[in-house]
Amino acid sequence: MSRKLISAVIALGLSTTIAVAQDYPTKEIQGIIQWSAGGSTDTVMRSVTPHAEAALGGTVVMQNMTGAVGAIALNHVAGAKADGYTLLMGAENPLLYKVMGLGDKDYSEFTPINILARGTPILVANKDAPFDDYSGMLDYIASNPGALRLGSTGPGGLPSVITAMMNTVEGELDVIAVPYDGDGPALTALQGGAIDVMPAVLGAAIETIRAGAIKPIAIFDVEQNENLPDVPLVTSFNDGYNTYLPWGPFFGVFAPKDTPDDVVAKLSAAYTEGAANPDFMKLMEDRGFTMMGISGAEATAFLSKWQQGTAWLLQDSGLAKTSPEEFGIARP
Amino acid sequence: MDTFLAIFTVFTQLDLLVLVGVGTFVGIYIGAIPGLSVTMAVSILISFTFSWDVYPAISLMVGIYMGGVYGGSRTAILLNIPGAPSAIATAMDGYPMAQRGEAGQAIGVTTVMSFFGGLIGILVLALAAPFVSEFALSFQPRDYMLLAVLGILLVGSLSSGSMIKGIFAGSLGIAIGAVGRDPLTFTERFTFDFQIMEGGISFIAVMIGMFGVSEALMQLQNVNMKAVRQKIDRIVPSFGTVKKYLPLSLQTSTIGVIIGALPGTGGDIAALMAYDHAKRVTKKPKVPFGQGAMEGLVAPETANNAAVGGAFIPMMTLGIPGDAVTAIMIGALFIHGLNPGPMLMIDQPDMFWFIVGALFTANIFMLIFGLTGIKIFTKIVEIPRSIIIPLILLLSIVGAYAVNNSITDVYWMLGFGVFGYFMRHYGYPLGPVILGVILSRLLDDNWRRAIISEREELGRFFHGIFTSPLSLVLFVAVILIFVSQTPLWAILKKRLFRKTS
Repeated sequence: MSRKLISAVIALGLSTTIAVAQDYPTKEIQGIIQWSAGGSTDTVMRSVTPHAEAALGGTVVMQNMTGAVGAIALNHVAGAKADGYTLLMGAENPLLYKVMGLGDKDYSEFTPINILARGTPILVANKDAPFDDYSGMLDYIASNPGALRLGSTGPGGLPSVITAMMNTVEGELDVIAVPYDGDGPALTALQGGAIDVMPAVLGAAIETIRAGAIKPIAIFDVEQNENLPDVPLVTSFNDGYNTYLPWGPFFGVFAPKDTPDDVVAKLSAAYTEGAANPDFMKLMEDRGFTMMGISGAEATAFLSKWQQGTAWLLQDSGLAKTSPEEFGIARP
Repeated sequence: MDTFLAIFTVFTQLDLLVLVGVGTFVGIYIGAIPGLSVTMAVSILISFTFSWDVYPAISLMVGIYMGGVYGGSRTAILLNIPGAPSAIATAMDGYPMAQRGEAGQAIGVTTVMSFFGGLIGILVLALAAPFVSEFALSFQPRDYMLLAVLGILLVGSLSSGSMIKGIFAGSLGIAIGAVGRDPLTFTERFTFDFQIMEGGISFIAVMIGMFGVSEALMQLQNVNMKAVRQKIDRIVPSFGTVKKYLPLSLQTSTIGVIIGALPGTGGDIAALMAYDHAKRVTKKPKVPFGQGAMEGLVAPETANNAAVGGAFIPMMTLGIPGDAVTAIMIGALFIHGLNPGPMLMIDQPDMFWFIVGALFTANIFMLIFGLTGIKIFTKIVEIPRSIIIPLILLLSIVGAYAVNNSITDVYWMLGFGVFGYFMRHYGYPLGPVILGVILSRLLDDNWRRAIISEREELGRFFHGIFTSPLSLVLFVAVILIFVSQTPLWAILKKRLFRKTS
């Protein structure tokens, strides 16, 4: 720890010298993680960064900056110097800040360095729930209106998007949405029976499913998942989901918008190499994440497509605070 | 049996033993410095130990955790500044002891009792983890809400003097805890459209300000007062002393383990509840509570160290963090290629026994380091105030900044420091403010979850309470404790007493 401290002090002293892009990086890079230590964004970023550091030949000092659903970290990095020495380690939700009324900035203020991986949503139920599959759940909801307790993580979170999708495809479902602050606490509540069903990211639920403590209902994807080959796809129950899937939360590294191109290129190359590390890939696959590792124009296109689809889905189901149209987000 | 032997891994591998020792030693100091938190240290260690094997990395983290929880009591006793939230209750009776020159004795008892509490926590983890985690899972939102109400009723114990002022302070704390974007709906509350308010007010900033800065300002008034000379001959408590507090410490350790094992509550709440419990069951303390009662030290210190073992219970059996530190450790296990979750105990039982062994070792190191460094530590109190006060202010600023790397937190901390100074001046207790901030979200979130789950019908809510044995017990406890603090209780007692005589 002391070595890190000493180098941090030296870096502070050097920060006055002007960095030339060719020999970037000449000092430590700050990586601001949008979510708290121990969460999935945190673990993914802390696992990939050491490999990227090796490729880059520099150090990235990781820092968690939490608060206001990640908006504090986003605003901090957006306001930092666009010199490649402050990076944002973020997830998907900033793309929904504008429509959900959570902030006036999103990834359009940034250049994507690398979109590392995406998660697959899965619907899971308490092990004593009176149904075993997706159609059974719909029957239960129909015959017991307003009885099923569905876990949520607040507006714009994965459960809210999946619920919006279900409401659009199946028609309005009469359930109670019980809010939790994050999928960890909600999955805990699911095991304890405080809620009956929960849309979660597969990676967060997979170990509990393997242990039989909760039961999988349906995977929200268009392809069978290798980790859970026996769990049916939601599209096998209703074709309507094909319009919206594949959809999933993602993790990405971002730099402020006007960062010099050669710096962005260097960082992109480093993170692409880091993400291709076999250790990292195994770690991600074990947890049910789908590797992406895209950058440049491809990443920008992915982000805008994701934002259009999700923002309009939320708008159409009445969850959005402000219409995506106001921010020039085109209907897909 | 082979897997059980993993408990001795730490003893047989010298490097692991050294790492646990180093971790514990560093942890004590991190814990003692207000603002440097165990959570922060462990999250830095995740990156630092990335390339290591999993055993050494976990050894270091376990050591820091155990040492840090104990270390918070040091500054609480010596300077009246709790080094960590879980040491808030310790300051209430520890500091008066230091003012009488009994700091050495206070630290001695604290160390031995922390060791005892830690041991109970580890034993429960080793022997009954699956049962405790099942019990912890059965807590529904309404039970967490009742637990928070129970916690808020501690205001009475934490405020010496005027109860009205105590209630005011507690309400202020609850309001402070509500500032910012509500974590469930993301609606802004008490933000007045200022962006800096959006993230809420850091609880650590409030704590450092209220206890650290206001204490420094208080002491500025008598800078030239001669420091109390500390008696340091009787540091290690006699066997008789330990035996005397054994029944109490068993009770408070149990409180610690259970509160620690509940996801969402940790050592800070456990210590405060234990303090309250001690105050309730100790009929005739030798010294009144708040003026240096030994029971007031024993209770919170056993409870917060027992909570360490408790926090590992849901982590090891279910992959659910018992508190912020175990949340980061789950991340660490994941990074090192393990899959923390309910299968960990079945796939890799070695890991479980290894952690039990590491905790046990850290607990022993804590006892050794705790008892040996006391003489030097007590010298802190004898340092002239003109040196120690600027030092406290400096540490407070560094600490407040380090929590979130945010300068806003420093402003909050200084603001609450000045505010806390005036509160003290006018006889408002500070403990309830912190209690309010800690419990604010627990109460608010779970009340809303509970009532939303019942389709917002009060009838169904109470039906839920009366049909669940756990909720019923908590509900009755809330009613009894509430009534016992009102004049009604005194009248009732008088009547009953008359009848029997």
